[in-house]
Amino acid sequence: MLVIVKRWYQLISLCITSLLLAACGQAQLPSGLVYCSEGNPESFNPQLVTSGTTIDATSHQIYSRLVNYSQAKAEIIPGLATQWQMSEDGLSYQFTLREHVSFHKTRRFTPSRDFNADDVLFSFNRIINPLHPYHLVSRTGYPFFQSIGFAELIESIEKVNDYQVIFHLTRKDASFLSNLATDFAVILSAEYGYQLLSEGKPEDIDFFAVGTGPFQLSQYVKNEYIRYKKHPVYWGPTVELDQLVFDITPRSTARIAKLITGDCSVSALPKAGELAVLNQHPDVIVDAKPGLNVSFWAFNTQKPPLNDVRVRRALAHAIDKQNILEAVYNDTAVEATGVLPPASWAYSKNLSPNDYNPQKAIELLKQAGVNQLSIDVWAMPVARIYNPSALKTAELIQADLARIGVKLNIISYDWSVFTQKLSASNYDSVLIGWNADNSDPDNFFTPLLSCAALESNNNRSRWCQKDFEHLLTQAQSVSSQPERKAFYQSAEAIISDQVPMVTLAHAKKVVLKKNNITAMQIRPYGGISFAKAIQTSEEGE
Amino acid sequence: MWRYLFRRITLFVATSLVMIAVLFIATGLFPANKAYSLSGIQYPTALQQQQIELDYQLNDNALLQFTAYLRQRLSGNLGISSNSQQSVAGELASVLPASFELSLFSGFIAVFFGVPIGVIAALSRNKMLQHSILAFTLTGYSMPVFWLGLTLAMWLGVNLGWLPISGQINLLYEIEPVTGFMLVDTLLSESTYRIPAFHDALLHLILPAVTLAVLPFTLVVRITRQAMINVMNQTYIRAAEARGLHTFKILVRHALPNALIPVLKSIGLMLGSFASYGIVVEVIFSWPGVGSWLVSGIYQRDYTVIQAGILSVSLLIIFLSILIELLHTAINPMSRKELYASH
Repeated sequence: MLVIVKRWYQLISLCITSLLLAACGQAQLPSGLVYCSEGNPESFNPQLVTSGTTIDATSHQIYSRLVNYSQAKAEIIPGLATQWQMSEDGLSYQFTLREHVSFHKTRRFTPSRDFNADDVLFSFNRIINPLHPYHLVSRTGYPFFQSIGFAELIESIEKVNDYQVIFHLTRKDASFLSNLATDFAVILSAEYGYQLLSEGKPEDIDFFAVGTGPFQLSQYVKNEYIRYKKHPVYWGPTVELDQLVFDITPRSTARIAKLITGDCSVSALPKAGELAVLNQHPDVIVDAKPGLNVSFWAFNTQKPPLNDVRVRRALAHAIDKQNILEAVYNDTAVEATGVLPPASWAYSKNLSPNDYNPQKAIELLKQAGVNQLSIDVWAMPVARIYNPSALKTAELIQADLARIGVKLNIISYDWSVFTQKLSASNYDSVLIGWNADNSDPDNFFTPLLSCAALESNNNRSRWCQKDFEHLLTQAQSVSSQPERKAFYQSAEAIISDQVPMVTLAHAKKVVLKKNNITAMQIRPYGGISFAKAIQTSEEGE
Repeated sequence: MWRYLFRRITLFVATSLVMIAVLFIATGLFPANKAYSLSGIQYPTALQQQQIELDYQLNDNALLQFTAYLRQRLSGNLGISSNSQQSVAGELASVLPASFELSLFSGFIAVFFGVPIGVIAALSRNKMLQHSILAFTLTGYSMPVFWLGLTLAMWLGVNLGWLPISGQINLLYEIEPVTGFMLVDTLLSESTYRIPAFHDALLHLILPAVTLAVLPFTLVVRITRQAMINVMNQTYIRAAEARGLHTFKILVRHALPNALIPVLKSIGLMLGSFASYGIVVEVIFSWPGVGSWLVSGIYQRDYTVIQAGILSVSLLIIFLSILIELLHTAINPMSRKELYASH
């Protein structure tokens, strides 16, 4: 009897040891990097979308742009265009294109020629010319380009020769180059486009993408992964990674778990509250970079009692922003004193911020002759990069205002209902924010507080002021950075004085990565880029 | 025996029909247009609308609609997923093997470790050992699987970092699906990283499989023990002992086969709860099988996916239960006797 028992014991212990051995051995991995992304891309063409998830998966991996923006140098740097010249009147830009740039070779498409002016014309005419064969292939339109009035801005695009293109503009626009450097202004292959057209499958251009970027799209399995292969003849600096995989993991906790267990090396959008668990994992780096965004509390300046500037100033003085930074952002944000974040080149220290001073707030309210004030605040129901929890922020503001005798009612709807109701504009105030599309400072003012934005219902403060408007137009028409900076500084001063909104915080952009990933930079705005990432070999256990 | 087989097959068909009928009625109750919940096409063109009405006979009475539904579903037309716009049948075929892999591996763990431990619990004279095995299995049996899964993931995955806790394999290994079984596919692949990939897939399998194996394992231990005690008291065992046979031979040749018959039966009874535990485990460990596919379909109100998930899981359970019952009858002399005597 004992013999059998012993035999089984031996067998079982053998099994357990073999399993344990399997568990402890160091697996050998193919070269490459896995990025835990937060969702499925809607398409593989950034021209058609504004969602960050899609931009992350496409713009800087598959495509290149004519020009890029360098955060370090704070200027526009060459991309597919090696140099450019603005005409004296500022109405035309001539680009010299890079030679010997090849498109990806895929299963469906073998490029017969290098990148040239035809591809530039193809890519931009698709956006601006309704007669272009691909213009209507997009079911979603071209939201970014529509929002900046790109089609009206460009009069025509002229091909001088294969490597010279001229953009003719209808008016001066200092942000034109910045807009070409956004993640949306990518270059497609004209040859591929016409091949697909003759095959009768034009919509494939946005899904089986071909570009000139550092990685080429290899395989996409919805809800599972996107696989990219290194582009063997990339025009830019050598790509170190042989492959790049986006592991689509919608749950934030699962992304962190995968990072810890080594199933991915870089992970997106962690929740601030979950970062504490990473303290016990020294091999995971929390990489936080200042972001180009702002969260704010906008007052409906057309509705009493908030049409009285003294009331708005009083409310601005009543809010303890430090408290919000700690409780809502877990210190992953910096306090906002104006609209522009410190990461913008036009940022300068606000000389007259509305600092936290409840006593002053009470006095201002007394001056305004308002007592028993009760206002509503609409708080967005979803987490955004600029504000992980608007509801929590609203509760903190509620407590602050109670201290100066103001009652605040928090109102929240489901996200889609919320945005619809916002357009109806019958709110008192709203907690929302803004994430920049490009590095140009104008992106923080015109879409948010201009009179044009009031008409298109994006001006949450329902505020339109002549002096302010004048400053913005002037700032757009000059191109020297110091001059523009001065204009924006004056614009900030007006906002500080008139308080159409109280800016709360500039959230940092947080990416988690393993410490063996180096040379990967996070940019303050726009999509993630893996072109320069290097994965050093795993250290032994 | 043939008559019995025939009766079982009729039972299978009848149960499946009832199940599909319930599913059909439930589909009608979805808060959506019927054509949409049946086909998954949210905004059909006029031509598609016509085709859907023709396929599902939407303009006829309920009975005809049901037969049309039956015809479509059984011929493999499960509609398209409104979320991914791909054929549901294709998606199902891609997620089913992962679930099979997980359940087979867990079943293997349960039986491989459960039977010997059950035998030990039955034969050991050591009260201490007996009681501790019983206490251990009772604890395992009463532990909720979602808690166990999360605890194991937290402990072995997040805190110690020993085992991966999510997915089937590190995605850097590019494995072409051939059979759909990741362990087999890694070995079949022509990549130079075949062996490390297999190793990695095995590591990914351990935690979910162990979590899922706990319930059947405890049941197998307890039932093996009970059956073994019964069998060892039979006169033929004593006769064998009296003839001086080796204990091992008695055990393996005479006692175990008879003791395993009730184990088989209990596995058949356990299939339903095993499947629902499987769904929970798949969701916890992001295992790309039917379970997590079905749950994400439920979250996204993907009606065709919900139907296909329920249909496939329930049909499988019905089929396997009846198969196990057949096997049980085939190898169990007692029930064969019953069969001839009374049926």
